[in-house]
Amino acid sequence: MLCQKCKVKEAQFQFTKTEDGQVVKLSLCAECAAALKMPLADKTVDLSGMMAELKNQLDQLQETLAADTPPAGQHACPVCGMKRTDVLKKGRLGCDRCYEVFGAEMVPVVVSLQRGDQHVGKVPKRISSGLRLSVETGRLRRELDKAIAAEKYEEAALLRDQLRALSAGKEQL
Amino acid sequence: MSESANYADAHAVVLSSRVRLARNLRGLPFPDRAPSAVRAEVCQRVMDAARERLPLQEALAGAPTLRRQLLFEGHLISRHLLTERPESAICMDAAHSCTVMINEEDHLRIQVLQPGLALEKAWQVANDLDDFLEQKLDYAFSSTLGYLTSCPTNVGTGMRASAMMHLPALVLQNEMEPIANGLAKIGLTVRGRWGEGTAALGHMFQVSNQRTLGLTEERIVEDLGEIVRELEGHEQNARARLKRERRLFVEDLAARAKGILTAARLMTAQEALERLSELRLGILLGLVRGLDVQLVDELWLAVQPAHLQAAAGRAMNSAERDKARARMLRTMLKGRTPKRAQKENPHE
Ligand SMILES: [Zn+2]
Ligand SMILES: [Zn+2]
Repeated sequence: MLCQKCKVKEAQFQFTKTEDGQVVKLSLCAECAAALKMPLADKTVDLSGMMAELKNQLDQLQETLAADTPPAGQHACPVCGMKRTDVLKKGRLGCDRCYEVFGAEMVPVVVSLQRGDQHVGKVPKRISSGLRLSVETGRLRRELDKAIAAEKYEEAALLRDQLRALSAGKEQL
Repeated sequence: MSESANYADAHAVVLSSRVRLARNLRGLPFPDRAPSAVRAEVCQRVMDAARERLPLQEALAGAPTLRRQLLFEGHLISRHLLTERPESAICMDAAHSCTVMINEEDHLRIQVLQPGLALEKAWQVANDLDDFLEQKLDYAFSSTLGYLTSCPTNVGTGMRASAMMHLPALVLQNEMEPIANGLAKIGLTVRGRWGEGTAALGHMFQVSNQRTLGLTEERIVEDLGEIVRELEGHEQNARARLKRERRLFVEDLAARAKGILTAARLMTAQEALERLSELRLGILLGLVRGLDVQLVDELWLAVQPAHLQAAAGRAMNSAERDKARARMLRTMLKGRTPKRAQKENPHE
């Protein structure tokens, strides 16, 4: 494929950027990429730098989302009155809120018996928009991890943009 | 192929498939923690939401013990609901293949039963019923842990998929124990439908998934289906070997079973299950003629204590039941067409 800017040299790098909410792909040769101040040097180094930045952004995004959940570590559930000692003794929870209250202690135990730490199955149709947003964020994040692991950087960049768009949408809520 | 040969073919090893989904209503304590008024409210809301699809609804709390026992034997309610639970109820469709238990361990337990090996189908039907109920019910759900349940081992999909398997040859060939251990290592549970471990009565086993989080429902059903098909193959091979290498032994076993079932005057439930299994194996191996597998499969339930009493229309003590059980088996297996016990119970 030829560079989309000079249309002379072979394109060596692919970039993705968002213009007016549209995702635009750009294939450039080394010179044009440098002229446009696209990050450059060694191809792999560059991309991993980009990935590190991307990871960083994601972690921030995740933190913002996590700030929505009430603080953990309380000793009794405000909804059902279940006490921490009861939960540990019975291995049962008293209500959905208990999962937030005792989550920090319970979840790692549960997860150790399971296939993963993330629900990837059915999602109810009637859930709040906030909950739907975090489901969708979780899904994109998993896809992104997969794309990075498979070194599909172009796909990863697209997913990152979608995640950014989601978080922008969240701020408007 | 005749109808009875078709049945035998489709149910030779896997008798039925089942999918159960655990669900709770958002913001309300789970049944064990909820005050009576909350449980009553949950019960009413779920019954209302289910009525159109599951019109047969009955309260279990306050129902006669025999009624609960009948539903339990038919696998329509769990052991948990066999003991009287406050504000518990059951909703069923006319065919009794779709049910919702209310105020069991969780607010709702959706259950779908399909004949033979049909886990995908069972999931589809359960999923559809779940969608329907969800139009009127707000479920407790977390974006990371999925459906939230009373016991944290059910979180995620809240799904337990299982297959009921008849595995007499694997037991007789002493191959069942290592297989059960191997399945446990890959996250599946094997237990006897009646009785414990490999001493399962009637060589009847239930194989189910343990893991509910980190997998999609489709994947759970697919993985389990694959193992069940593999296990089915092992059982078929073991049956073939049994017939080839120990023919006289297995022929004798089946003939004795038939003799006892058609001649005995007193029969305990345990003995009935053991002999029915041997008879079933004999029929499937072509070593017993004149009886069909479908009839045997109706008898698994008919010999159970509550089913016997329901058919008789009265309560019976254990000695009376042993007598009635023996008489029922003689009549049924002599090929006449008596009034079928199944007419009066809901498990067909
Ligand atoms: Zn160029
Ligand atoms: Zn609670």
